[in-house]
Amino acid sequence: MSAAEPPWLRLSPRNLLIDPVKVLAQFAFPAVVALVGISQGDRGMPWWALPIVVAGAVALGVIPWLTTFYRTTDTQFQIRTGLLNKKTKTAPLDRVRSVDLEASLLHRIVGLTKMQIGTGVDDDRITLDSVSRQEADGLRAFLLARRAAAVATSSTVRTPLAGSAPEGPEWPDDPSRPTSDLPGERDGDLARVPPVEPPRVLAEIDWSWLRFAPFSLTRLVVLAAAVGAVSQFGDELPIAEAAGSAWTWVHQFALSLVIGGLILGGLTSWVMVAVTGYVIQWWNMRLTREAGSLHLTAGLFTTRSISVEEQRVRGVEMKEPVLLRLVGGAELSTLATGVGSGGVTAVLPPCPQAVAGSVGADVLGSPTAMTVELTPHGPAARRRSWTQHLVGALVTIAATLAATILFDLPWWLPGVIAVLALALAALGAETSYLHLGHATTDGHLVVGSGEFTRVRTVLENDGIIGWVVHQSWFQRRLGLATLVATTAAGAERVVARDIPFGAAIRVADHSTPGVLAAWLT
Amino acid sequence: MTQATDTVLLRDPLHQVSPRAVTYWRVSALMGALVEWAIAIAFYVLALPAIFEGPQRPWWALPLLVVLLVVPLAHVLFMPQLRYRIHRWEVTSTAIHTRSGWLNIASRVAPLSRVQTVDSTQGALMRLFRLSSLTVTTASAAGPITIDCLDREVAQQLVHELTEITSASEGDAT
Repeated sequence: MSAAEPPWLRLSPRNLLIDPVKVLAQFAFPAVVALVGISQGDRGMPWWALPIVVAGAVALGVIPWLTTFYRTTDTQFQIRTGLLNKKTKTAPLDRVRSVDLEASLLHRIVGLTKMQIGTGVDDDRITLDSVSRQEADGLRAFLLARRAAAVATSSTVRTPLAGSAPEGPEWPDDPSRPTSDLPGERDGDLARVPPVEPPRVLAEIDWSWLRFAPFSLTRLVVLAAAVGAVSQFGDELPIAEAAGSAWTWVHQFALSLVIGGLILGGLTSWVMVAVTGYVIQWWNMRLTREAGSLHLTAGLFTTRSISVEEQRVRGVEMKEPVLLRLVGGAELSTLATGVGSGGVTAVLPPCPQAVAGSVGADVLGSPTAMTVELTPHGPAARRRSWTQHLVGALVTIAATLAATILFDLPWWLPGVIAVLALALAALGAETSYLHLGHATTDGHLVVGSGEFTRVRTVLENDGIIGWVVHQSWFQRRLGLATLVATTAAGAERVVARDIPFGAAIRVADHSTPGVLAAWLT
Repeated sequence: MTQATDTVLLRDPLHQVSPRAVTYWRVSALMGALVEWAIAIAFYVLALPAIFEGPQRPWWALPLLVVLLVVPLAHVLFMPQLRYRIHRWEVTSTAIHTRSGWLNIASRVAPLSRVQTVDSTQGALMRLFRLSSLTVTTASAAGPITIDCLDREVAQQLVHELTEITSASEGDAT
């Protein structure tokens, strides 16, 4: 509140320790190739090139620290970057929508963290790479509190006490432990911080949830990549002839044993990859509500800390992939505007369905939307689901038949394919019909969707910025429609597929009263 | 065209687009059809004998050619009227409502308080017919609303009105 211009601040000098390392890491591969590869030939790179490379990396690494300045004025956050092309970015404090902290292992060793500040809807975010942890925590608390203060104008000024007793049970010496109410030493700014109510914990990691890890297939890619790498490596080995004789041996003695072993090995490695990934990603997970923002921290090596203004959270999405659902698990994401990464943020690891539901209700501030019974879309929607799936199956069967005749494949192949395709089609048709549904509560639109994954999407009525009613020729014959609620949050649309036309209009009118009024008869 | 539930619950928007749109759609469909016919005939006359090495074409070639000639023709003949009957629009002081399509139909409604931009566009062929399209966008990628082929004067007038209404509303429309 002083009239004097606040001074420009630099990034933490500890960046000088890690930035050159990062630059070196980027250059390491080409540099090693140049050193080793070329020196094997006659015109080798001389030995004295190494110090030059290192010196260059250090110089490059120092530049960001030398050229980046930032400060907070009474109304704005400003950052100035660039060596030759100087660039100043500003963010009005009352427009700050999200503040994310991320610290890689390297950052954490020296006690730094990277900050990303999100403002408008599609604006690119301001990145501060990197400041010290205390600085970041103080700045984050300040930015969020200032924004909250701008929203709710009535407030009394109280300076938060520095170094309040750290809560959070285990890991007392973990530098990443969320210390959201540790303001640091930024007196000038903190004097202006309005009261911060203590953060309320919505969810914390419960390690019994680890049992859901193997049933979530999101990390299957990792395993597939590992198998791919190993098989690539295997091709290089001179085992072709050995494999031939081994195969006959296997065939004679222990085919079933080997297959069993492979399956067992595959499953074991899958469980290990899944559990490890789960632990690394969700270590110390904590979801809190603080000063009008949702705040998520998690991560074993790289710690992430995501803060989103609650006004920007327009809804939630609960997903129950088929495997996870068999063991009663679910995943929860928020749908928000102006947060980057598509607006969909996973806020819970795979966890019990009841937990996802209650946390979802907490986030929405509505007890009913996560549990309300969905109205099914009726027999016409079921018929359409079956028709679509059966047509798909018939096409597959016809293609297999044609291939069998053309290429003289074994006669049992089309039979097997037909049985499989029809079974899968029947299953898909029925489940995707059962997952369809819609409901309107006070303040929220609820839509069910998904084929094998059951998805419940809840969108705040206030976040709906338009409606589209699609009717294909087939849908019109059945009196169905696809209702799309357009929104700026998440995937920018919430789709109720194959909803009866009348219900679509009723849902739209109920969710946004008055918008359709002129056309209702 | 409309079905029972349509009229019970949601009445059609009032206005139709410019009658010249029919001719415009027919001409642009015809231009597309000419290209498709040229490709189909060239394939039948030149490519097939080359592939099968002789003047004898396989049995399925002629039916395929007929289909490839008739479908664009049907499109040129029937699509424009159908589309003209279905395309409708209406703007009230609070909302915009359009209906478009011909086989697949989409009705779009957006409250004017959430509108971000109002543009009008005019292709070269549209200029020839003195037509203009108007697009209203919101903060959602799923939400742009287009009224195709308005009379140019009507479009200009509408852009003016919409800009006036939307500039009066506050907030960032998300």
